[in-house]
Amino acid sequence: MIQAILDAVSLGGVYALAALGLGLVFGVMRLVNFAHAELITVASYTLVMTHQFPLVVSIVLSVVAASLMALLMELLAYRRLRGSNPATMLIVSFGVSVLLQKVYELVFGALPRSASVATGLTGAFTVGGVSITIASVVTIVLAVVILLAMGYLIERTKLGLQLRAAASDFQTARLLGVRSNRLIASAFVISGALAAVVAFVNVVGNPQVDPRFGLDITILALVGIVVGGMNSLRGSALGGFIVGAVLSLLNVILGNGRVYAYSWMFVIVIVILLVRPGGILSKFATKERV
Amino acid sequence: MTLFEVRDLRAGYGKVDVLFGVSLTASKGELIGIVGPNGAGKSTLFGAIVGTVGLRGGSVFLDGEDISGKRPEDIVRRGLSLVPEGRQIFSGLSVIENLTLGLTGRRDKHGEKGALERVHDLFPVLTTHRDHQAGMLSGGQQQQLAIARALVADPRVLLLDEPSLGLSPTVVKDVFDRLIAIAESGTAVVIVEQRAHLVTRLAERTHVLRAGKLQATLTKEDAADEAKLTAAYFGNSGE
Amino acid sequence: MTTRLRLQELLGPILIVIAFSYVVGLQSAQGLLIVQSTLALFVMVLALHVFVGNSGVLSFGHGAFAMFGAFASGIVTTPSNIKENSLQLQNLYPFLVNLNLGMYPSLLLAIAAGALVAGLSGLLLMRLNGLAAGIATFALLGVAYNIFFYNNRIGPGSQALLALPPFQFLEEPVVLTVIVMLAVYLFGISRAGRTLRATREDPLAAPALGISITRVRWIAFTLSGAIAGLGGAMFAHVAGTVQVQDYYLPYTFMTLSMLIIGGSASLWGATVGTLLVTGIGQILLMMEQQKPILGIVVHIPNGTRAIVIALSLVVMLLWRSEGVTQGREFKIGMPKLRK
Ligand SMILES: Nc1ncnc2c1ncn2[C@@H]1O[C@H](COP(=O)(O)OP(=O)(O)OP(=O)(O)O)[C@@H](O)[C@H]1O
Ligand SMILES: [Mg+2]
Repeated sequence: MIQAILDAVSLGGVYALAALGLGLVFGVMRLVNFAHAELITVASYTLVMTHQFPLVVSIVLSVVAASLMALLMELLAYRRLRGSNPATMLIVSFGVSVLLQKVYELVFGALPRSASVATGLTGAFTVGGVSITIASVVTIVLAVVILLAMGYLIERTKLGLQLRAAASDFQTARLLGVRSNRLIASAFVISGALAAVVAFVNVVGNPQVDPRFGLDITILALVGIVVGGMNSLRGSALGGFIVGAVLSLLNVILGNGRVYAYSWMFVIVIVILLVRPGGILSKFATKERV
Repeated sequence: MTLFEVRDLRAGYGKVDVLFGVSLTASKGELIGIVGPNGAGKSTLFGAIVGTVGLRGGSVFLDGEDISGKRPEDIVRRGLSLVPEGRQIFSGLSVIENLTLGLTGRRDKHGEKGALERVHDLFPVLTTHRDHQAGMLSGGQQQQLAIARALVADPRVLLLDEPSLGLSPTVVKDVFDRLIAIAESGTAVVIVEQRAHLVTRLAERTHVLRAGKLQATLTKEDAADEAKLTAAYFGNSGE
Repeated sequence: MTTRLRLQELLGPILIVIAFSYVVGLQSAQGLLIVQSTLALFVMVLALHVFVGNSGVLSFGHGAFAMFGAFASGIVTTPSNIKENSLQLQNLYPFLVNLNLGMYPSLLLAIAAGALVAGLSGLLLMRLNGLAAGIATFALLGVAYNIFFYNNRIGPGSQALLALPPFQFLEEPVVLTVIVMLAVYLFGISRAGRTLRATREDPLAAPALGISITRVRWIAFTLSGAIAGLGGAMFAHVAGTVQVQDYYLPYTFMTLSMLIIGGSASLWGATVGTLLVTGIGQILLMMEQQKPILGIVVHIPNGTRAIVIALSLVVMLLWRSEGVTQGREFKIGMPKLRK
């Protein structure tokens, strides 16, 4: 029971991080970056391919890889689409996603690459007669620390202020001197770093990395930001958390029916959206952005 | 000496041309007015100057430097700020956060504190509401915030697009008094107004923009002459 | 926006599709297969065009309707004795085991299944704003996949249905495709279709004109669901097998790419996109398999084909976001400049 709750919170935390990465980029350029999945995947490959290095090195490399990949996407593809209609940008990112999957397939092969990463995190310990997995506790701590850090970055720093301003009205932010290229690049780098964190947790849980490794979590996180409310970062993170936690709880509650957890979760999502079509934290619609 | 010059500016959107060669100048400490009917291209002119609307020709000089075609974020750093139509304050952010964003466009980062103090002197009400959400301010207070947010960047040229919009006469007078004070402190101020009489009496020169061209220019003295004003505004000046 | 029937806009694409079908289809058995599967994909592209092209809202969920259509048609056309004896169909509902229909009634069933699922899910999805609706359609695809993958009472689960009757003649898919093209065209010039395109161009004007965006979108969504059901079933009857994986993300990506590369806004765009992507795909496939093209063998590594198609989608959108046809309909002669 306690383990079930811990699992729900930890999965919710991971999805919140993925959704936050998506929400940041959406905020500054109204792009729903489907290829976020491939950021998670490249970070995961990096972790697996460098597993013989010290863990810290390997983690740093994976953050660098995902952030670089994010920057590259922005530079080569999304930059030219600024101000385009969001549907066009979404479909481009879908194309970028498939393109990168195929490239990964060519480079790493279609079959999963695996290696044990951070073996210290597998296993369990007992508290008061209850067995608890180390991974779930570490994941929760990691998610909480990073969410707090992101909260600080967004609420208390200049960069965060610019991100928030740009999210509500990019054009006016530029009129005040906010450097658009630099700000959008920062958003991509941060979303890449968040993707690397998600990758780390996932690889520890399941070190079988294939070209589609990041896909499922990204689709769910996307649904999460719709559920939470696309126009706010809090909404995105909250929606991601709900989707992850509900999915995890359903897996326990449904017993043998757990294979349908995915479907039931979407039923819940639908109910939420029926009540609040704009997402849980929706306010009034903000202006269209640049 | 001319601080700011717009020379033969052309601009438009997509297939539509809106401005067909607009020229004007402003010196240090001058207050310049631009009036004209809806859709004349006033906001487009400001947009083209600050780099949010595509230029189709002509140039903009700031202190001798050609700034035409530069990006908005670079133009504000050179000392030209716009208070956009409809204020466009960040209503979800606090007053102080709005002002802090205004500081982004400063050239020198040392004077930040001084700039905020100057805002306090000009618009004390903003200090009182420092931590309030900007969207909760009254219309007049929001307009003050929009002006203050532009001022903290220490502009040499300040453009204001319809600052009187939606404000009651007393508040309008209040706002314009401060604009005069800002001009007197050495900033060149260019004001677009729908309500011509508000600026013609104050401005050194008031240009009448109609159908994308400057059709007439009025001086302060002309402002007293009701007939001349009407003629200039409605374009039956004998062509 | 005129109501005038411009026959060349309809007949042009139809004649080109028919010409393609006979020229390629009569070459060889393999050519026939290529034509049949291209037409099945084309029907799916047309389904997407009806909704995406007219409304401007993306859908990643049409694979779900195709799945329902394919399995509905597949289950009823698989002979009863095979259903009784296949290992993967042991848990099938008894009434499904005993139900047997011919190919054509089964296609009607597929259309109904697609329309029903689209109509029901559309009641919710069309209430969301455009972008949120687009993303939420992923959920629709995910649910359908999840259900068909695990539920072996209504189908073979993750296994394949193997013994569907395949199309016998080239004419079968050709006639079906032409009928769908006609339906798509008629919808396009109907009141609902024109209204929907008006909302795409200016979503804010619609409510002012007393038009309910939700309603016209729902109509298009349901119609396109019906067509997608047919497209999915046709795809199943080309090879004579159905498997849930065949209708998931790669299928979605392939058909969306065809639509967008051609230009989603016109029937002509859907046609050009489908033929173009098929053509490029075939040439690259021959290169991957080291077969001579015009007597020359060019060898490219396996997997290049998929990369090129994904890359052309991205490049196309960066270069011309309206697709090859720029949203124009078919027209003979040089395009005249008109005011
Ligand atoms: N973003 C835009 N895209 C296309 N056309 C535009 C755009 N903005 C303005 N226009 C057109 O340009 C012309 C000039 O508009 P502009 O906003 O500059 O007028 P204005 O003088 O500021 O009017 P107002 O007094 O109403 O503010 C108008 O005909 C308008 O329709
Ligand atoms: Mg204006």
